Amino acid sequence: MSAFSRRGRATCLAAAVAAVTLVAGCGNNGVSTGSSGGVVQLSMLTGFTGPDEASYQALVTEFNQSHPDIHVTMTAEPWATVAQKLPAAWATGGGPDLATPSSDPGSIFNYIKTNSALPLDSAVGTGSGQIDSSAFPSVVRSAFTVDGKLYAVPANMATLVLYYNKDMFAAAGIKTAPTTEAEFIADAKKLTVSSGGKVSQYGLSLADNNTIQMWPILQWMSGGDIVDSKGCATVNSAASISALTQWSQLVIQDHISPIGQAGADADTLFSSKKAAMEINGPWAASGYTSAGINLGMVKVPVGSAGPVTLASTVPLMVERNGPHTAQAEQFLAWYTGKTAQLKFSQISGFPPARTDLGSALSGNATVSLFASALSDAKLYLAGLPESTSIDSDVYVPMIQRIERGANVASATASAATQINKLTGCAS
Amino acid sequence: MATSELSSPRAAADRRPGRPPAFRSGGPRRVARIAGRLGAGVSWLVVVLGAAAIVLPFLWMLGVGFRTSGDLYADPARLWPDQWTLHGVRAVLDQLPFTRLIVNTFVFAGGTTILLLLFDSMTAFALARLRFRGQNALFVLILATLMVPFQVTLVPVFLTIYHFGWLNSYQGLIIPRATSALGIFLLRQFFRQLPRELDEAARIDGANDFTVYWRIILPNAKPILATLFIIQFAALWNDFLWPLVISSQTQMQTLPAALTLFSSQSGVDHSALMAGAAISLTPLAIAFLLLQRYFVQGVATTGIK
Amino acid sequence: MTSLNPSSGAPRRRPRRRFNSAYLFVAPSVVLIAVFIAEPILQSAWMSLHDWTIGSADNPFTGLANYRSLWQDSRFWNALRVTAIYTAAVTVGQVGLGLAIASRLRRTTWYSSLLRTAYFFPFVASLVVVGIVWKFLLDPQVGLIDAWLGDLGVSNPPQWLQSTSLALPTVIVVGIWKNVGFTMIVLLAGMQQVPADLYEAAMLDGAGPWRRFTAVTLPALRPALLFTTLIATITGLQLFDLVFAMTGGGPVFSTESVVMYLYQKGFVEFQMGYASAIAWVLFIIILAVSAVQLRVARNRDGD
Repeated sequence: MSAFSRRGRATCLAAAVAAVTLVAGCGNNGVSTGSSGGVVQLSMLTGFTGPDEASYQALVTEFNQSHPDIHVTMTAEPWATVAQKLPAAWATGGGPDLATPSSDPGSIFNYIKTNSALPLDSAVGTGSGQIDSSAFPSVVRSAFTVDGKLYAVPANMATLVLYYNKDMFAAAGIKTAPTTEAEFIADAKKLTVSSGGKVSQYGLSLADNNTIQMWPILQWMSGGDIVDSKGCATVNSAASISALTQWSQLVIQDHISPIGQAGADADTLFSSKKAAMEINGPWAASGYTSAGINLGMVKVPVGSAGPVTLASTVPLMVERNGPHTAQAEQFLAWYTGKTAQLKFSQISGFPPARTDLGSALSGNATVSLFASALSDAKLYLAGLPESTSIDSDVYVPMIQRIERGANVASATASAATQINKLTGCAS
Repeated sequence: MATSELSSPRAAADRRPGRPPAFRSGGPRRVARIAGRLGAGVSWLVVVLGAAAIVLPFLWMLGVGFRTSGDLYADPARLWPDQWTLHGVRAVLDQLPFTRLIVNTFVFAGGTTILLLLFDSMTAFALARLRFRGQNALFVLILATLMVPFQVTLVPVFLTIYHFGWLNSYQGLIIPRATSALGIFLLRQFFRQLPRELDEAARIDGANDFTVYWRIILPNAKPILATLFIIQFAALWNDFLWPLVISSQTQMQTLPAALTLFSSQSGVDHSALMAGAAISLTPLAIAFLLLQRYFVQGVATTGIK
Repeated sequence: MTSLNPSSGAPRRRPRRRFNSAYLFVAPSVVLIAVFIAEPILQSAWMSLHDWTIGSADNPFTGLANYRSLWQDSRFWNALRVTAIYTAAVTVGQVGLGLAIASRLRRTTWYSSLLRTAYFFPFVASLVVVGIVWKFLLDPQVGLIDAWLGDLGVSNPPQWLQSTSLALPTVIVVGIWKNVGFTMIVLLAGMQQVPADLYEAAMLDGAGPWRRFTAVTLPALRPALLFTTLIATITGLQLFDLVFAMTGGGPVFSTESVVMYLYQKGFVEFQMGYASAIAWVLFIIILAVSAVQLRVARNRDGD
């Protein structure tokens, strides 16, 4: 009955210890080490998990085909996941060679601070195989240049326009899409249909969290803003307060939009024909059309401050301590080059992230619309290292409070105090 | 306490707990009995309604998996689809490398659970049946680790795994999770309840510690092992964050992570999301239904004393 | 029966320092816990004493500065309030309801078995799936609940997860829903252990069903009640996945738990030092609460 002798036990223990050390020592983190038969393998981590993933993949495939000595593999995971994995992965030098850290351009600051991202200036130039940053839209270039160095290229470039459901407009007797803020408000009210206290159709689908921001546009239309160029809060300026009061009253009293929607909810509300209008970016167009909506798109209506809309760009960065930074830079150069950007615009509907392609795309109405909005577009919380904190800790909660009836003056006042504390603004 | 010898068969039958003794007279007692029955009826109704409420979300989830988005928005009050579609199921199967995901999740959840049962039972055996210095302190320390939220240790563990070179590998996924404080606790409680005569009989026959463990204790622990298996397997199967952090390559992805693909920033694909959720739940549901008869028995014998 | 030296049949000789095989048995678990749980816990304690950003070359030692900031951080206190309310409500709800249901479903009839299985089922579903399903179930546009309320004539069905006052209670209900089955099983097992003669004796004393419950069942269930309460408390205080999936901590922080705040600080804003400090404070709280519960139980056992 004695299955183990004492000596056997000691041997067993020694073997176990040996096994553990062996296993601990041998492991290469499962990363395909670079060259296999002369082809450099690059990995790219992105957050493009939606219907637009196919467009990015198409670009990657074309690059691989035209560059037989480099092979890029793109993976897409939810943005929250990328944000969790990337910092530690890049800090240890074991992460992907290329990555989009977040859909928020303000996310680059942390990777710069921890020296995880490669400055790209050495690869910038107008020659072939070089990154032509002078062709980037200026908002993009300034968003990605920190302390005079370029740290990212645009993975995409988006502006927001007003989508509307033509059938719903016709049913409400509205002949044309709104071009001024006054028309915008009137249409939103008219298109909101409710019976017995329950809203069956919303005029406008607004989102306040986990979304590309829409509320800043409503402020900008009247000359309001959130911060100024020095990082001091302007969210409590008279223009901001009146804009926010006006629009929050429309939501609270006229029910033009549900409250508390995340970006995805807002999109789905519009694509399911329960809302007549939505401010959104180029990625949504194909989804709406395939949902069977008689889709119309116009530039965001003009308010007292002139034409304005929101621009957003996703940063694409290179791992600083990666083994193949030269090839990664080559990929970026190709990606932002004319051929790739042209193709990307054509298949995705995004405007190109280059300012020298205008005429080539004039045939494509969608792309032209988004591209034409670029000249009036502003970035949300541009260039601030604290932008992520301001967004999640201050701005979003403030909008949520206002939507639920909080006093606008006091909500904006406390938001301003918080912002100034975060940015260190002296006023 | 005075107990009379109740020798009649009826009284004996009524000795089962929960059964009121037969009343022998009517009047106020009969009213009380009817009230009691009514109360029992009401409480049964509540329990059944409660069970329906428990199950309702899953039924609805199943329904949404087969509904078009338009149908969902147009008539949210329906439980079952009016317009059926296989779009959700197809999206899940097309967009995800399904076989790969299932294999990975099985290897991760199954492999880890088996290792876990082995290591935990060994430790529990030592804590319950053997004597060694620092025994109690060790037990308390193990319990203390239950109280630390996972997010706390995530980054340091990631760095450790990186230094071992175990990222994107099965051993990196499995080994750090191959032991559980809850498992050790429950097993120890269970082992303590097993009669010592079993051990002693074996030892007299010359069995050493390992034999007692392997041939006496484990075979008698089937209920708790089955219970622990389902609890841990389910927890690991559903683990979203851990595999995501350890494996950056799609080759190594597990099912829960992949499902989040359908809830992106540009619209929610309800039917795909719910279909995916239903699909990910199915293996667990099957395992659960197969093993559930062991639960009460397993937990009962831990005594939780 | 004479007991021989259990480890060998050989005649006794002066025992050398025998290698206690117990150490071998505990070795795998202990090694794993030491390397992958204990060491990271200590490392996170170390991180909490620094201004630590992941990957940064320079992480200055700041001593207890993080803890001092935490003391003055109103958002942390809000998170603590949310977590405390959640934990108390879910523990009471889970244990109370679990008890009620278990006492109803004690028999081994097929329908009792079926109902028990139904109640336990949510336990095997992942928190993320549960959160997402409930989020849609409660959605004002596509959710079943509001649709049914509307059909029943409620004119403005509540927006459960969008309301700052209703969001936390809603999350609490879902938490109870998920865990009541587990509590039920444990208490049920405990109930089945109660010897029949105790009930018999009580009946003979004229005790009705309620009195039997309070005088016989409850006291016998004390260990099981302690166990379920303890587990419910520990898991409740670590609330994260459910909130992450259902509300993301909103609206306006009304459902932001301590771990949710920790996640925000550590993984969104990269301040791992501060996040580690939050984690350690939570850890101490969990330890303290558990110790108190155990002490109370031990005192009551004494009488």
